[in-house]
Order: sequence, then structure tokens, then C-alpha cells
Amino acid sequence: MSTSEPLISAPAAHRIALLLAKHGEELARHIRRIVRDDDTAQDLLQETMLRAWKAVDRLTEGSNERAWLYRIATNASLNHQRSRSRERAALARHAAELAAARDSADGRLGDADRVELWAEVARLPERQRLALSLRMADELDYEEIAARIGGTAAAARANVYQATRRLKAKVREV
Amino acid sequence: MSGSTLEEHRAVERIVRGAFGALTGRRGEALWYAMMDDTPVGVLGLAAGVRGLRHLSFVRGEDDFLERLLAEHGNVAILKSAELDEVRRALDRYFAGKRLDFDLAVDLGDLAPFHRRVLDATAKVPAGRVATYTQIASRAGSPKASRAAGNALHNNPVAIVVPCHRVLRTDGSLGGYGGGLPIKEWLLRHEGALLS
Repeated sequence: MSTSEPLISAPAAHRIALLLAKHGEELARHIRRIVRDDDTAQDLLQETMLRAWKAVDRLTEGSNERAWLYRIATNASLNHQRSRSRERAALARHAAELAAARDSADGRLGDADRVELWAEVARLPERQRLALSLRMADELDYEEIAARIGGTAAAARANVYQATRRLKAKVREV
Repeated sequence: MSGSTLEEHRAVERIVRGAFGALTGRRGEALWYAMMDDTPVGVLGLAAGVRGLRHLSFVRGEDDFLERLLAEHGNVAILKSAELDEVRRALDRYFAGKRLDFDLAVDLGDLAPFHRRVLDATAKVPAGRVATYTQIASRAGSPKASRAAGNALHNNPVAIVVPCHRVLRTDGSLGGYGGGLPIKEWLLRHEGALLS
């Protein structure tokens, strides 16, 4: 940064700087996992910290600031994804049409089937897709998944179960 | 929320942009910090930039250390890092008595020239040995400035690694120490410079 003007001009911004220093790295990673794009992730991290800043007075001493920030980040990111869901649904339909146009008569999971499977992943509800990704890619337990996407461990387990069942059904179908 | 809300809004935006640039390695400089909570001399805060270690401080805890970093470096991104392993390992070896000297890059770039010369001279005092404030002042090029040398040492941003604890009064008494005299004494005994 080239400016020598201090960034921290007022108390709430100061608290945000503290929170960002402590949790910024993992929050950025968490958001990038959801949106998978650096520019979008930067916008969403900014939105997360702005929302946190507006609500920082409600963060009382001794409350779990890390979990609180994770919740804000998850909600901001999922809202963003939801707003893109129409576009994603169109993509998924297109992928499915592609898959249908190909011949998978040899019975193996060919390219076309793979395309369709990914399309099915893309069609999963956001919380299911995220829970599945945290479970499969990061091997988190259900408590940790719940801490990141909100809700209870039981709900996280149900999300992973529903997602897996839906994908398995898809594999049998193709 | 009262006062300059728009200004704060902009401040938050800038803080995040700075942090994100550093996180993605795309732009900007960051100060990375880490805590060592459980050392024989209490809680230590470490902070490093790309050119080396910039802070090694005795602190009450993470928030205390962060407050100090923000006060001093409010215009760069400050981020917790899991990457200060080399420094941690060197300190672990030091506290275990396996290796008492450090071979770490230290960045004293933002200090005044005399302050730097004093700390550079201090860095050359090996473990197990001591020097006096007068000797250090003289090695820093100002033999008469022993009091100023003492002040410079008191404001050593990189304790232990730049061994200001090895500098004593001419009469052999301990003098002062930013981390408190019991810690100075512990460090000197640990290095074998004081007889038990």
C-alpha cells in the first residue's frame, strides 16, 4: 500500500481491523471455496466485514467472534450464489442436453455422464453442495460443517446424506 | 453507530482490499503475525514482513499484541499467519538450549539510523557473553551516547533475537529491560552468562 495515511480512523473500523487480522485468512479461504473466484471472493469478504462492522456493537465480550464471522460470511456467500442460481440452472440444463446428445452405450461412466453428474452437483441446493464439499474435500466432521454453514450438526449430516443420495441415484440412472 | 459513518465505511473497504491483496499474493505488503503462548518467558508475539522479522515482543495476549501492531502499522494489512514456522523453530531451539544464536532475517528498516546501529552492534554480542551500554554506544559510533544507546535498546522491536538482554551497566548490574528484569536475568542464566 503506498499511502501512509492510517486506515484505522475510528473505533468500529479499528475493531474490524482486529477481527480481520485474526480471522481474515481463513474467512477468505472459506468464501473462495463457496464462490471459487478471487474477485467475487474479495467483494464478499468486503461485504462480510461491512456487515460485521454494522453489527459489531452487538458482538459482546466473550461471544464466539470466529463463529459469528463465519456465519456472516456463509450467509453473504450463499445469498450471492442464490442470485446466480438462475444462470446456473440454465448451464445445468445445457450440460444435460449435451450429455443426452452423446451416446453412453458402452456402460462406463463416459465424458457425457461425467458432465451430467457435475450438472447434478451444480443443481444441488447450495447448503447441500457446500456441506458435501466440506465433508468430501475437507473431511470435516459434522460439528465443524455446522459451525461454518450454520444450523446443527444433525442438519449438516442430513444435507450431506441428501446430496449423496441424489448423486448416487444419478449415477445409477446413467 | 455514530460519527463519521461514511469515512468508516471507506476505512473498512480499504482494510479489506489491503488484506485481500496480501492474501491472494496479488499486491500490497502485509505484516504477518503469530503467537507463541507457552514459552519460559511468557507469551510472545511475532511479526514479519517480506524482508524479515520485525517484532518479537513480550505481550499479555493476542489482542494486546494486535493493538500494538495496529498502532504502529495502521497502514499495512496485518494478518495472522501459520507461516512463521522458521522463527518458531529457532525460538524453540533457543528455549531448549539446543542453539542459542539466531540466523534469522531481521528487518529494522523503519528505525532511525542511530537506533539501527545500536541494534546491529548488539546483534554481534554472542550468547554467553555480555557488553556494556558504553561499549555498545561506542560500537555504534557515538562513545558518549550510552544513555541514548540504553533508550534505543529499551525500544528494541525484536527482543531475544536482537539480544538487548546481553547489554549491562558498566558496574555489572543488570540495568533495565522492556520485558522486565526477571526475564533479562532468566535469559542471561539460560545462556550461561550469569552464574546461578
